[in-house]
Order: sequence, then structure tokens, then C-alpha cells
Amino acid sequence: MAEEQGIETVHCTVNGMAVEVPKGTRMIDAAAHVGSDVPHYCYHPGLSAPAQCRLCLVEVEGSPKLLPACVTVVQEGNVIRTESEAALEARKAVLEFLLVNHPLDCPVCDQSGECKLQDYVSAEGPAMGRLADAKRIVGVDDFGGDVLFNGDRCVMCTRCVRFMREVAQDERLGVVQRGSRAVIDTFFDDGLDGNIWADNVVDICPVGALVSKDFLHRARAWDLDRTPSICPNCSQGCNITLQVRDNEVMRLKPRPNDAVNGHWMCDVGRLDYQWINRKGRIEAPLVREGDRFVPMSWSDTLPRLVDAVRALSSQRGGAVVSPFLSNEDLGAARRVMEAVGGGRSVYRVETGESVVLPGFPQLALREDRAANVRGSQLFGFERVGDGCATGGLEAVDNAEFLLVAGDDLEDAPADFGSGARLFIYIGQLLNPAARNAHFVLPATTFAEMEGTFTNVNDHVQRFWPALRPPGMARPVWQILGVLLSGLNGSPAPARPADAFALLGAARPEFGQLRFEDLGATGNPLSGAATAPAGS
Amino acid sequence: MGDGGVQKNPGFAGITGDFNLTEAEVRGTDYVGQRPLDGGHPAVAGTMPYQVPPKAVDGPIFVGPFEERLEKVLTRYEDRRGALLPALGIAHEARGYLSPEAMEEVAERLQLAPAYVRGVATFYTMYNLRPVGRHLIQVCTNISCNLCGGEDVLQAFLQATGTGMGEVSADGQFTVIEVECLGACGFPTVVQINDRFFENVQPADAGRILEELR
Ligand code: SF4
Ligand code: SF4
Ligand code: FES
Ligand code: FES
Repeated sequence: MAEEQGIETVHCTVNGMAVEVPKGTRMIDAAAHVGSDVPHYCYHPGLSAPAQCRLCLVEVEGSPKLLPACVTVVQEGNVIRTESEAALEARKAVLEFLLVNHPLDCPVCDQSGECKLQDYVSAEGPAMGRLADAKRIVGVDDFGGDVLFNGDRCVMCTRCVRFMREVAQDERLGVVQRGSRAVIDTFFDDGLDGNIWADNVVDICPVGALVSKDFLHRARAWDLDRTPSICPNCSQGCNITLQVRDNEVMRLKPRPNDAVNGHWMCDVGRLDYQWINRKGRIEAPLVREGDRFVPMSWSDTLPRLVDAVRALSSQRGGAVVSPFLSNEDLGAARRVMEAVGGGRSVYRVETGESVVLPGFPQLALREDRAANVRGSQLFGFERVGDGCATGGLEAVDNAEFLLVAGDDLEDAPADFGSGARLFIYIGQLLNPAARNAHFVLPATTFAEMEGTFTNVNDHVQRFWPALRPPGMARPVWQILGVLLSGLNGSPAPARPADAFALLGAARPEFGQLRFEDLGATGNPLSGAATAPAGS
Repeated sequence: MGDGGVQKNPGFAGITGDFNLTEAEVRGTDYVGQRPLDGGHPAVAGTMPYQVPPKAVDGPIFVGPFEERLEKVLTRYEDRRGALLPALGIAHEARGYLSPEAMEEVAERLQLAPAYVRGVATFYTMYNLRPVGRHLIQVCTNISCNLCGGEDVLQAFLQATGTGMGEVSADGQFTVIEVECLGACGFPTVVQINDRFFENVQPADAGRILEELR
């Protein structure tokens, strides 16, 4: 692990296993390298380490006392035992103290199943409490925003206080009172309202003391399927997991990626997921025959589509795409436009104020509130419309070949596209303007497919399918890939990796990346800061 | 000082018992009477004891002499955070307790987060968080004083002021509370009233002491 040139390393053994780690590594991280998770509360890799909870005590040969693994740096030759009798005894005592006032209300606690108190106590805590006295009762306090505080469950790790102080740099939380009366609170009734990073305290709270009001009592942790994905709600592209129950997204949680979002994400993106669960989706390809739509199978639809495009002699094209489409979708749309002879290609995006996270300034809620605005630019689409992602459709008014992909045309005039000789609509919802299309084709959302987004800093990142698509919905790249193959005989991409490999043709920077290499945290595009390609 | 017949040590401060000395005679004239509100020399500005808190209950705290005093306190610390305890002390002295508004004002003056100031203010038990009377009477009932009748002294003060523990008397003058060892165990029962120690207090003294304070 530490064989890179120029990095000084030290050797130690953890539970009898020899480890070599970079100089300055904390014992807790060295132990993690050999697969032993030292229990810890106050330590969080994104925050300062105050070593105050004393739950991470480990035995180090030659040291008269147990040492906190979260702040003790490995020295050459250290012999560390995380499971020695003394260490286990000490941690058991700490856990017993934490349980003194804990309500043990796991059956009604949202953290249950992903709670560090549950985990640690069942792993190495006391089997029984010895407390005979009544427990302290703090009760519930609404901290404002999305955050609800259950004081009785708090283990006083102060992660939340330190997050607000060090990362959000808006010190709204503090420890009020002391000793057994200590409790986390805001300044009287001030609350956390207005800070868009506040929900991160819910993520880092190791127990159920801070819970999300949005998620309150909606699902049990063990019923959720977790799929790595990318937050679609702005061009930052925070790494997330989509947490799904019964084919419905229940919540978004951040996934660490030092290059993009650290451990964090914003509340604006986090709480805007209901649209992914939208009902009333288009489920089958609809082909216009006369003045009515006929639902058809893909195998009936696609040859008709190819024929219709072939029959078109016109040179006047127009495309409206959505910046929520994947790179693969956008690349395919670009190639289709080239195949029909080009034309205005536009996208529309909602914008808003940009808000930087002061303690991790690489991360900001970006002005452009869609994940793949950068991809749309790179693949040659031009921005039109206003900051509400409306208007601007005049750009394609006189198109004879009209392709709309992903944009749901909610605000389009009722006769939008009625002048086109061929209007293909690929999307999720059948708004009135979409009814003018000759082909209405059901598309997946990013949550129902595999693909990549390019973030504002040209970081290309993968996402995975978390939901079953409704009916016959397919990714846009797949639909357009088959169309292209019908037009020019090239093989249609079968897998997302194939679709990704085709991107290099439109933007050579993509040719330097391999889909498989992107991994869970993505790779930067090199040299893509140049002007967008295409028309 | 008097020779012969000495039964009680007059102690460091306060009521001087059998010696019949004034407080000025015991503590020196530099150390009694109304202190300059601006705190005097910067070195002591943060800790200058006051015998009777002025009670300007409304408006901002750090104006006039209190403002001057805060400035002096600030010169003694490397950063504003360091000056938090004495700044809270000044606010405490001016109001008798730390209200949310007082904490907010301190936070604003020291450019600290109100939540942090609240955390510090509530950590220390010697900052009152609720209004108290103009004279805060703290009766020691810890071991030494307890053996010598501290509980009775406490009851005597409660009765003389007509209040329950921790309440403010109807005239706003007195609040009586019970405290742990005041560190003057040689002179039980010890009663601290605002910044002054009253030593060798007997239950019978309560009425007289209150009269003196009024
Ligand atoms: S609320 Fe949670 S994060 Fe905050 S101190 Fe308590 S246990 Fe730790
Ligand atoms: S900053 Fe952007 S990408 Fe990150 S969570 Fe917020 S909306 Fe989503
Ligand atoms: S994690 Fe090490 S002391 Fe809290
Ligand atoms: S016991 Fe009363 S002062 Fe020590």
C-alpha cells in the first residue's frame, strides 16, 4: 500500500499482522488496513480529532496506558493490539457508561440497523446494564431544517458540533451544560435553518440522536438497497448512494470522494429526489398513426423509426436535450444530429445561487442545477431558455427533423413541433407538447440505468442502476444507438461501456478514458477546457 | 488589632465579628467601596470584584464604563475567544445573570458564535442563567459549615428574606441559594453575598446582615 516512491513509511504489527503505512498514519487507519475496525465515535476522517470519547483505546506494547487509536500516530516498530483483554475491558466500560442514559428505543429509532452504538455494544459491550436509577430524559428538539434531535440517544461525540464549526463554518451547534446534563443544542431557538449543509450532521451522527425529518419513520435501514450513484441535482456531481425500497428512492446519502465532495453533500440536492419516483411515466413506445398513438414493441417501433429518418431529405434539424442525460445519451444524440445533417442543438437548465462549503471549498452547490451541464456543452449543445429551464424553444421552431431527448417540454406551447416533418420525443412524461411527436419513446432516468456524468470540473463519474425502469423504458443511448445502426450499419452499442467507448469520436478527451477504469470515484478528463465541439 | 478576648478570627473580608472593625480596616481602603466601573487597571479589569451590581436592566451592556472595561480586558488576551470568560463576567456583573440577549451581545462583541458562547456560559455553574436578586446570598452547607449549623443558617436566610431556595424576593433584593464548600472552612458558617464573604455567621445574624445590605 505504501510502496509509492518518496513516501516515508513505518512498520508496525496490528493484532499480529505486519503492516507498512505512510509515516503519520493514525493507528485507527493502520488497523483498518488489516481489516480491524476499532470502535470510535468522536473520530471522523472529515473532521478534527479531539480524542474525547475514549472508545478507540487500544493496547500498544511498551506503553503503560491504553492509547486512543484515533490520534496516536504509528511509530516504527509499534506492536498494536486492538482486541487485547485490557483494551476490550476499557471499551466495554466506556460503552456501559454510554448506555447509562441511553433509552434503548431501537425499535422506533431510524438509526437502528446502521447505528454504531448497536454495533459496538453487540460486538463488545456489556450484556446487561447495572444502572438501578432512573435515566435522564432530554426529549426531542426540532433543530430546524431537516434535522431532528433526540437528545436521549446522543453519545456526546461532538461530531455535529465540529462539522458546523469546521466544515460548514457556521457554528450553530454547541454543547450546552456539562457532565450528565450536557446536551447538544443551537443558540436557544435559532436552529439550523438556512444552512444548506446542515443535513450532513445527520449522516455523521453515529447514533440516532440526529435524524432526518424527511426520512423520519419511512423505512428501516435494513430494508434499503444501496446503489452508488451521482447526485443529479447540480453540476457538482456529489457522489451518493441511492437508497431504495420497493423500487422507490427513499433518501440520498453522500458517498466519500475526496476529488469531488469529500464526505458531504448539500440539502438542496439531498432532498430533491421525489422526481426520480414520479409516477405516470410513458411505458411503451408510441407511434403516431393518423391522429392517434399506437403502442408498439421496440422491435416494431425501431424499424419504423429508421425508415422515417431515412425518408427525410430535409437538412433542417433541431434537437432539445436535457442536462440530466448521461454522457452516452448526449454523445448518441450528437451522432444522430450529425447523421441527419446537423441543426440547432440546445439544452435548458434551471439555475440558482451558488453556495460554497467553506471548510471544503472544492464542493459547492453549483449555479447549474443539473448533473450533466458540462457534458451537454462538451457534446456541442447550446444553452437556451431562462433560469427556470423554460423558454428558448424558438431555437428549434423551424426544424423539420426534431429530436427531443429528456426534456419533458412542460412549458412548451401546445403546437410545439407540429410543423416538423419528423418529431421524435424520447422522455419520461407525456406532456401536451410531446403529443405532437411522431414517435414517443419511453426513456429511463439516470436512476434506472448505468452511465456517466461529467461534472463542472470535467470529472467523469459513473452511476449504477438503482431502480427497475417502468415498462419498456430504455436508456436514450440504447434507443439512438439502434437508430444509428439502422442508418449507417454500424453495430449498436449493447452495454454502457460500448456506448462510452463511442464518445471518443465526438470528443477525443473521452477516448483517453476507459469506462472500466472510472471505478466508483471517476476520473478527470484531460484537456477538455477547450471550446465545445459540434455545431 | 485587639489583644485578649479574641475568640474569632475576623477573616479575610466581610463582617468582622467581635473585633468590631470596619471592612475598610480589614481589607484596606483601596479595596472597599464602589469600584470604578471601568475596571481600573487593565491587569485587574477582568476580575475586579463589585459589591453591589449596578442594575441597568435594559439596553446594551457594553456601553460607557463597561465598554471601556471590555476594551481593557481584550488587551490582556491574544485572541477574542480567550477573553470570553471575563467578558461574560462583566455581563454577569451588570445584569446579575446571563440572559440569551446578554450571551448574544457578548458573542457579537467577541465575534464568536452565539451557540459557542451559550455552551461556555452554561458550562460554568457560577454564571447565573436566571435572574437573581440584587444580593445573591450563597450559604455554604458543605461539611465544615454543615457541622457548625450551616443548614440552620440557610433556613434563617430563607425565612428572613421570605423566599424559597433560588427565588427572587418580592422587592427584588435577595436570592438565597445553597452552595458547596466556599474554601473558608475555618470560619463556619460561610456565606458569600455577591463578592463578599461573611464568616462565622450564626442563624441569628441573618436579619442584621440583610439590614446592612439594604
Ligand atoms: S448528536 Fe450525534 S453527532 Fe452530535 S454529539 Fe450527539 S451523538 Fe455525536
Ligand atoms: S452540491 Fe450539487 S451535486 Fe452536491 S448534493 Fe448539492 S445539488 Fe447535489
Ligand atoms: S475515536 Fe478516539 S477517542 Fe473518540
Ligand atoms: S465547608 Fe463551608 S467553606 Fe468549606
